[in-house]
Amino acid sequence: MPDITKPILEVKNLRTSFFTDDGEVKAVRDVSFDLYEGETLGIVGESGCGKSVTVMSILGLVQRLGKITGGQVLFRGKDLTKIPADELRHVRGRDIAMIFQDPLSSLNPVLSVGYQIDEAMYAHDVIKHDDIRARGVDLLEEVRVPDASRRIKDYPHQFSGGMRQRAMIAMGLSNKPKVLIADEPTTALDVTVQAQILELLRDLNQNTGTSIILITHNLGVVAGLCQRVIVMYAGEIVEEGTAEQIFENPQHPYTWSLLRSMPRVDTSRRERLKSIEGLPPDLIAPPPGCKFNPRCPFRIEQCFSDDPTLETVGDDDRHIAKCWVRMKRAYAEMGAATLTDTRPGAASGVRPPKTLVEKLEDSREIEPDTEAVGDLRGS
Amino acid sequence: MLTRGTLIYIGQRLLLIAFTVLAVSFAVFAALHSLPGNPFVNEKLHGAELAAQMHLYGLDLPIPIQYWNWLKGAIHGDFGVSLAILNEPISPIVFREFSVSLMLGGAALLITLGLGTVLGVIAAARQNTWVDYTLTTFAVIGYSVPSFVLASVFILVFGVWLFNVTHGAFYYPLNWTGTYGTIEELSIPAIALGLYTSGQVTRITRAAMLDVIQQDYIRTARAKGLRQRIVILRHAFRNALIPVVSIAGPLIITIIVGSVVIENLFGIPGLGKEFVESILRHDYNIAIAVFTLYAALIGVANLLVDIAYAAIDPRIRY
Repeated sequence: MPDITKPILEVKNLRTSFFTDDGEVKAVRDVSFDLYEGETLGIVGESGCGKSVTVMSILGLVQRLGKITGGQVLFRGKDLTKIPADELRHVRGRDIAMIFQDPLSSLNPVLSVGYQIDEAMYAHDVIKHDDIRARGVDLLEEVRVPDASRRIKDYPHQFSGGMRQRAMIAMGLSNKPKVLIADEPTTALDVTVQAQILELLRDLNQNTGTSIILITHNLGVVAGLCQRVIVMYAGEIVEEGTAEQIFENPQHPYTWSLLRSMPRVDTSRRERLKSIEGLPPDLIAPPPGCKFNPRCPFRIEQCFSDDPTLETVGDDDRHIAKCWVRMKRAYAEMGAATLTDTRPGAASGVRPPKTLVEKLEDSREIEPDTEAVGDLRGS
Repeated sequence: MLTRGTLIYIGQRLLLIAFTVLAVSFAVFAALHSLPGNPFVNEKLHGAELAAQMHLYGLDLPIPIQYWNWLKGAIHGDFGVSLAILNEPISPIVFREFSVSLMLGGAALLITLGLGTVLGVIAAARQNTWVDYTLTTFAVIGYSVPSFVLASVFILVFGVWLFNVTHGAFYYPLNWTGTYGTIEELSIPAIALGLYTSGQVTRITRAAMLDVIQQDYIRTARAKGLRQRIVILRHAFRNALIPVVSIAGPLIITIIVGSVVIENLFGIPGLGKEFVESILRHDYNIAIAVFTLYAALIGVANLLVDIAYAAIDPRIRY
């Protein structure tokens, strides 16, 4: 049985930036986490919060303007951010495989599916070359592509969306990797196919003990699959814990808001979807203090001046959150349980300090006009 | 790849080419025969003698009937006799010239695609470095300078200056000695002809490569742990070739048009040189044969381009 207390991959203080004409976009800011053997770890957050860039950085796949500016990625005692390119190449696809969001654009349109699967095996010396062709068909069968021996000769455009993602998974599994990183593997697929793909990932995790990092913005997917969950916001981890802790007892207001915004089958039809006000911050010049303060209903004065650190919640050191207030206090003092108005500062009644408002207005990030927002919602 | 559908498609295209060639030959036949003057205008023939000569070659008949007579021969590969070099059968001459032009054009096409794609890939791989800037500059110069200007410069440099500098030890001989020409004799004209189009191919390959290497499937290829060389050549380049192939048709036409000028400048006994001379001599039969061959050549070249297109991109099927 896999040992789920032993980290197989350790990410330490990872920082990745994109150097654009407008300035340095700090997409990943001091992110640390461990991936244990045989576990499925979920990373959730809105679009643009640094989930993908974090995992791309692990394999050194950040392109063009992007650059890892600090930190370590330890795998088998080696720092993947420091090892030579050729050594890193052999980690990619052999030890750590990756599958991507859009399975159509992620497969090369001019090469056959079988060719692309075989090629992944020829690139490394895990599978004997004589066995590669047969294994290609076996893999496709394993990921439940019907009529695999015939379909393996097809081109990606002859595959449906779900089949392409299966082929991607087959490709990822071809060298029996230790870690599979799945970057929003079901986002481009329809719901029934999503469920099939997720089941495939679960079986894979249970049968082979492959560790999985699952990136998604779909909390339902996380709940069904992951043992541990990391919540990211604005390039940082804001909360981390077991799936149970995150879903039953979220402590960061962002996690709480994400969970609240999930549509549920058991709510009234007339009820509006609860969205989180505002947008994630500009990562070139994020707000001072906690980066969630412009959107947080429970913010206090301290949130505007000091950036909180990740600290353990309660007595279980696996559950950590990065917040001055925490939901425990929000429930006790700010009536979070019955809160209907989730506008920024609504529960705590704290508005940004005057000096900050002027600065924000200068930099076009104006605090939403409460009345105008009210009008919009009423309509 | 050669499915039944593909073969039917190719058959249809060949039929279409045949019709096009037929239409071109008639239009050219009618146009040339309507030009003022006649092939015997220099031969001091007058009155009844001229009329007799015209009658001998059937030039006094109505144009549709002349065309019909010509067509009957042409279908069997007999393009008639030359009217300038009297009674000399045209077909052997024209086919010989055709093969010379094919060598020249083929060499130019090889330079166009070979040099163009290689430089384009290198420029893209070294984007925004001095290598890229140098190659891009050469590409711009390449397709800004028409081939006839380049040819004139080459004649001056390789044919005249090089001769003077090396005292005749090493230079480009300007006089084509044999009928078919050697590789050395072909080299400079082919470069003059192909450099212009290779500039365009460089530019398009570079742009296509830069577009392709940002695609998700390149990220996948890298994530699989493939070597950088394989990612570029096998995954990126094959996709970048698609836009290159799509301009190959117009490029071939550019080369054919350019060859007319180049052959005349270098004195190469090919179709292009004959093309100009036959028109000036009112040698109708040769001019029409040359025109017809050009039409067929362009049609077949475009068909080959379309077949290459399907061979490179599996999404395209006919």
